[in-house]
Amino acid sequence: MSIDIYWRLPTHGCHHSIRHGSYDRGDWSPPSPHRLAPGLDAQGQEDAYRYIDHLAEIARAAESAGFLGGLIPSFPQTDDPWVIAAALARETRSFRFMLAFQPGFGNPVHAARATASLQRATGGRTLFNIITGGGGPSQLWWGDSVSHDDRYSRTSEWLDVFRGVWSSPDFSHDGHVYQVRHGGLPPLLRQEEFPEIWFSGSSEAALQVAARHADYYLSWLEPFDQLGEKFARVKERTAALGGEQKCAVRVDLVARKTQEEAWRDIRLGFENVDEATRNAWRRQGGDSVGAARQSALRPTEARHYEDLIAGPGLWGGFNLLRGGPALGIVGSYEQCAEQLDALIARGTDAFILAGTPHLEEAWRVGEEVLPLLGRSSAQLLAAE
Amino acid sequence: MSLTLYWQLAVADEPRRAEPRLNPALPPQISDRRAGGRNRFDYYAQIATAAAHTGFDGLYLPHRPQGDDNRIVAGVIARAAGHLALVPEFPASVGSAVYAAKQAVSFQRATHDRLGWAIAPDEDPDTRAAQADSVAQGDLAERLGEFLTVARGVHGARPYSFKGRHFEVLDGGFDAPLNAVPFPPVYLRGEDEAAIALSARYADIHLFTPSPDLAGRIALLGDLARQEGRHVAAGLIQPVLAREFADEAHGETAIPGLLAGDHDTVAAALSGLVAQGVEHLVLAASPGLEEAYRIGQHVLPRLRARLSPIRSAA
Repeated sequence: MSIDIYWRLPTHGCHHSIRHGSYDRGDWSPPSPHRLAPGLDAQGQEDAYRYIDHLAEIARAAESAGFLGGLIPSFPQTDDPWVIAAALARETRSFRFMLAFQPGFGNPVHAARATASLQRATGGRTLFNIITGGGGPSQLWWGDSVSHDDRYSRTSEWLDVFRGVWSSPDFSHDGHVYQVRHGGLPPLLRQEEFPEIWFSGSSEAALQVAARHADYYLSWLEPFDQLGEKFARVKERTAALGGEQKCAVRVDLVARKTQEEAWRDIRLGFENVDEATRNAWRRQGGDSVGAARQSALRPTEARHYEDLIAGPGLWGGFNLLRGGPALGIVGSYEQCAEQLDALIARGTDAFILAGTPHLEEAWRVGEEVLPLLGRSSAQLLAAE
Repeated sequence: MSLTLYWQLAVADEPRRAEPRLNPALPPQISDRRAGGRNRFDYYAQIATAAAHTGFDGLYLPHRPQGDDNRIVAGVIARAAGHLALVPEFPASVGSAVYAAKQAVSFQRATHDRLGWAIAPDEDPDTRAAQADSVAQGDLAERLGEFLTVARGVHGARPYSFKGRHFEVLDGGFDAPLNAVPFPPVYLRGEDEAAIALSARYADIHLFTPSPDLAGRIALLGDLARQEGRHVAAGLIQPVLAREFADEAHGETAIPGLLAGDHDTVAAALSGLVAQGVEHLVLAASPGLEEAYRIGQHVLPRLRARLSPIRSAA
């Protein structure tokens, strides 16, 4: 069985280094002499570029360096994944666009037609990370007031309709949220391959929907044994329904030639975290169970980077250095590869990897870490 | 008065062109080394480039549920379309107004503000039922109004809250840099007074179709918009058939409102429409690539020559 490895496109700016949380690539930070913001030069005047040009660079680096494609995240402050995927369709060759999308935000029939069109535009390079939302203030920001568990049943129904109009020329559905009479994609669009569905969510409601709809169950990194147990539970549940569940991990790496260099970057990054960043994280609300499973580490209260070491080669303060999950992998190229192998041994079938800055790290991880994968698992097998 | 010239890209026209599945293979004795995965997206990009090369200002994509999704098509061809404005038409049933607005803003950011937002006229009940649109027929105008109000609202204010019958937002609104681009101009169309009144309230541009009473409708649009304290520009979707000689300008099918004639005659008639108050002119002809070149090369220069005295006098 082969392991699918994706990269990530930073849809809300990037930093030149994990040491500085400055978002100095893109126009999400104020102008400064060191900011690279395609679209505006150092004087704030228009140049010929846009942030999408930087994303195009990252996508092309990722597809050359060995990644299948990349996750395109969606949050209130980000650019939109559908727009990014469409814009880059003809500027990439093999890069697969994993669109983060909350089903409640779009009519499922129109979304199916848009997706099939995107498949036609990309030669079948579209897939989805279906998210159902962390709830709290940000759901209302999006104009969505449906409660947590109801959102999962809506997601399930949305996927039923999305799949239904794709697979049948005469699809009808009479549900709680959606009603369709004699729907179906136009013939040319219906011939396109149905996109892979990657599904996120750690609650009981999420696991039920995943078992029914997901090709991949996607989780943030958690302590390895805890994650292994979760994957085993998901696989068991789907097997009980007669299916097979693949599992995937989304994790950041700080991979360097030596582990000393890697931890030095973590230490410097931690020392540069200001109180405003800690406060911003303290204010994060929401009803996401996945977020709660990670925040047990309480990185906002740590005073020394070593307080956040969560195990060998694991550090729990990444959210202080850049937006996103807290737990990530730190080490030499060999150590990072061993960690990924250890995750594969615990049931991981695919990865979404990331590193900061996303452009240069796509090359580094692609050239230095990916070629080392499989060595330690081969050694384990040989030792048994 | 300024004139913006659009070429129409209708995704469902010429359905066989550039679709390998719908065309016979070349004879076996002929070498065929064409790349796999070809389809109409290559052709859409060709039409866009053709329109950019031949002097149009924009591309207008009318809503065609039997074809590709217009917003995806516009996004895919945007970076090949040079300076062209891109105006994909889509129905107000697409979903969340907040999400649609965020997509619009992203599109603006990626394309140097070249997006236009055209909302399709109401479709019939069966078509809407097939598209999971269960809003009652009598509520469609209200839904459209709320959709545009919320979309502009989250772009224009922070925090922004709204509670209507179709959309609801609490403490919403876009932060920098998403709010730093302009909201796209909104295009609506329709011939009856209700459609014109809706445009007077919500549109930036109202697109008409050809009619003997175009001047009267434009005047009505102006009156109704003034009552709302707004200005709404008049536009026209004009099918054209222009040839070197008038006797060559006859099509195979009758197209309503078709403007047919030699290049000079067509240019003269178009300038007459501009004199009636048309500020946004969408020209439509098929096949999209060949006709873009013909009209761009032969009609647009004649039209611009006729308009230049008007412009210099203005």
